[in-house]
Amino acid sequence: MSVTVRIPRVLSQAVTSGVRHQAEGENLAEVLENLFSREPGLENHLLDEDGRIRPHVLIFVDAARADLDTPVGPTSEIQVLQAVSGG
Amino acid sequence: MMRILVGTEKGAYLLTESGSDWQVDGPMFPGWKVTAFGQTSGGARVAATGSNWFGVGVHHSENLLDWKPSDSPPTWPEGSDRKMEQIWTFHNEGDQLLAGVAQAGLFSSDDGGMSWVPVTSLNEHRTRDQWTPGAGGLCAHRILSGNGSMWVGISAVGVFRSDDKGVTWLPKNDGIPSVDTAEGGERPEVGYCVHGLAHDPDEPDHLWRQDHQGVFRSTDGGDTWERIEDGLPAGFGFVMWRHPGTGRLLTIPLESSENRVPVDGMLSAYASDDNGSSWRVAGSGWSDAPQFTGVLRRAFDGDGNGGFCFGTSGGKLWLTRDIGDTWHELNASFPRIAAVSIVT
Repeated sequence: MSVTVRIPRVLSQAVTSGVRHQAEGENLAEVLENLFSREPGLENHLLDEDGRIRPHVLIFVDAARADLDTPVGPTSEIQVLQAVSGG
Repeated sequence: MMRILVGTEKGAYLLTESGSDWQVDGPMFPGWKVTAFGQTSGGARVAATGSNWFGVGVHHSENLLDWKPSDSPPTWPEGSDRKMEQIWTFHNEGDQLLAGVAQAGLFSSDDGGMSWVPVTSLNEHRTRDQWTPGAGGLCAHRILSGNGSMWVGISAVGVFRSDDKGVTWLPKNDGIPSVDTAEGGERPEVGYCVHGLAHDPDEPDHLWRQDHQGVFRSTDGGDTWERIEDGLPAGFGFVMWRHPGTGRLLTIPLESSENRVPVDGMLSAYASDDNGSSWRVAGSGWSDAPQFTGVLRRAFDGDGNGGFCFGTSGGKLWLTRDIGDTWHELNASFPRIAAVSIVT
């Protein structure tokens, strides 16, 4: 089951191509692990040293904020949000 | 033809001399802080990026414009009580590339920065539970080596020296006031806020130090330090640099810890030609207009041939080509400048 994962443009420097990717898995953790196997440079930017989603990094599955256990369906879309601050 | 890499709060820029003007390429790494530059033993350039939420990155380039990310930048091991906040500096030691990071320690790479391992001999030093951050964080920001010894500056911990290729480390801060010990109190082993560090490559035991608490020198590898501020308008600052050919020292005084701008807004480097015994304004060309800005510790670089460049927290660049006798401000403005590297 392949789903779409969109990453913010600022993270495009960490991947081999673009901001739209396909990955497989039954939940968010599996999808990310599959994505990292092809885009290893992305892992450090989304997960912290202990394998948790970094603080302030928001990932949505089908428009709902997700954690690593969130189930992913065959038509799901996953969006990593662009974090911003002022100035 | 001089080229200068400029790392800022918002991306990096490459300045290339073009006649009497400069061509500016960038921003590279848009959306990222660019915090340090280095060079591998193979000659590739490396750049460190950082973010308030996406962690750090290490990138490689052969042409200074196209950069390839490392898949495995420095990372604290799983379960560590430290977070990887920023890469502060790179240093070549033989075929090894070293990185100083916050939260402090040191990492080493044997493959030109593609993968990294922590230097546990320093990172897990017996004093580690006493390490505390300065205003800029708990950061390893300066690495020097020579004659088989190595020095690492960590804020606000102090200078460490290793005489056995990094197997063991000793704090070397005698003569430096600590950041938080009352006068007359017992001197702690660590707790010294080194800001800048330079040495004589031919006599590496001769060191100069811009510390939070003033300007100091050592002639015994850091075993002892003496204050050297004659002629300086203030003891505070971040920069300490030495020209290898003439021995001229350069620093940029700022008013105080509380007010980190030039005294009376008169921005200038100060030079010493007597190993720090006396200081004077470095040459001419400085602006008469108020310059209430700062110069950060990695925002200064020299090319070894008399060229020096520094960037300010206000985004301006200053350059000399004659070891600091004449200076001029480049006609461009950038975001807050964190790192500068003259590419030779």
